[in-house]
Amino acid sequence: MTTIDSVSFFDALATEMNAHPEAYEVLGDVDMDLAIVMRRPDADDFRLLLALRGISCEGVTELDADDLARADCWVEGELAAWQTMFDDVMANGRATGRQTINSLTLIGEDLAVRGADPMGVDKFFRFNQTVQAFIDGAAALSAGAPT
Amino acid sequence: MAEDRYANLPAETPMGAPLDWAWLKGARSEWGVHPKPGPRGLTMMDIAVGSYGEVPDYPPRRTMSPRGADIEDPTPDMGYILNKKSEVWADNVLELYEEAVARQWSATRDIPWNELQELPDDIEHAVCQLCTTLSEVEMIAADLPAKWMWRMNHDFLEAKMFLCTQIMDEARHSEVFRKRALANGGGLLKSRAGSTSLLRTILEAKTYTQASALMHLLGEGFILDIFRQGELIAPTDVEKRIFRMAMQDEARHVAYGTLHIRYAIEHDPDVAEEIHAALDHGEAVLVEFGSQPDLSTAIAVLLAGGVEDVEEKGFPMQAALSAKLLTSYLARCERAGLNRVERTQLPLDLLGIDPSTITAA
Repeated sequence: MTTIDSVSFFDALATEMNAHPEAYEVLGDVDMDLAIVMRRPDADDFRLLLALRGISCEGVTELDADDLARADCWVEGELAAWQTMFDDVMANGRATGRQTINSLTLIGEDLAVRGADPMGVDKFFRFNQTVQAFIDGAAALSAGAPT
Repeated sequence: MAEDRYANLPAETPMGAPLDWAWLKGARSEWGVHPKPGPRGLTMMDIAVGSYGEVPDYPPRRTMSPRGADIEDPTPDMGYILNKKSEVWADNVLELYEEAVARQWSATRDIPWNELQELPDDIEHAVCQLCTTLSEVEMIAADLPAKWMWRMNHDFLEAKMFLCTQIMDEARHSEVFRKRALANGGGLLKSRAGSTSLLRTILEAKTYTQASALMHLLGEGFILDIFRQGELIAPTDVEKRIFRMAMQDEARHVAYGTLHIRYAIEHDPDVAEEIHAALDHGEAVLVEFGSQPDLSTAIAVLLAGGVEDVEEKGFPMQAALSAKLLTSYLARCERAGLNRVERTQLPLDLLGIDPSTITAA
């Protein structure tokens, strides 16, 4: 099983995004600081900030709890829910059924999108296809991702 | 040096008609501003420099002369009626315009139509009904700005440009939902009066700001959540892609409307009451629209994965999602500077919404 609660995993996703500008060019520019919060069962939460700019991920930074408000919005949930989502991507080549990031956050039982400002939360919807493509990049990592 | 070069330019054409070289020597506009392109190119934010970036609260003219040009008076009156910046402006409108242009997509090319699959009869009917309703309602968000844009002062160019992108977006939404209804062996299904009542309420709003509140904040906020639900219940990746792409567009429109209403209220607090009055009526019509049998049952069937589980799974899930939808709408109203929580007649109790949890931030 790939270890997803790590900076190196998201660094690899960022590298994957930045290596395929042609896939993101057609989706258009993005300008969003998106935070990821994974609640680990027996450890501190894993928090990360993704700086999505243009058609690139320009930064992957671990965050303190107090810094969450720096993000336009954040998606939070139990580590197991994140793991199920990424496992689905890796097994199927992309998110399927109700394992897409929009579906999971809409139901809200496993993952939730939150923000300090509704305008920031709306960026999650304005750039949703790009965010989904970024997550779907995990399919390409399954062979070489840190374990 | 340059003036020397221009000193002996002819005063007449070879045919004897008088010439005017004012544009070349001595135009009274800002020269040499040199905006610098950023990594994405030269954006509207980049060129909002010096006097060119100053949008007047009350433009001095009602003409199509470009803001910042050396305008020779008198100029013809274009008959604009929206001549106050707060009537149309939003602080995010330049960014949203650039975002809209950068994120355009094609319903012909960017949807993987060849991946459509044969679906169970009830699911195909439900998808087609949802697409029928969406194809019908989406065009209002093109008709409405078109109704008002030619009445907006040209000094508010960036707001008009953004609304042009919205019109294109909505044309594409009507297109993509019509295409989906037809593409998989189904077709267009029921259309009833409820939809048209909502659309007419929006179109007949007395002021642009009332119209924007009804369309961007209420109507498109509602449809944004329907698109989110559409992505959730999409039976194949084709529909998932359609709803995600449309969701992105719709969220831009909502973002403009939210900050337009905020700007309008901040600069003219009296306008809040007229917006409240429009939303009082609009919310009632929206409830009627949202609960019309065709749309609500089609979504419930898709949520349940078929007609068999519609009562056990579909309707309860739909109620839960409706609570989220209304919570999002009320939070956006708060962000726009409108406290609807204490005024709305929406059935918050029925949906289990705790008003104390609704905050702008």
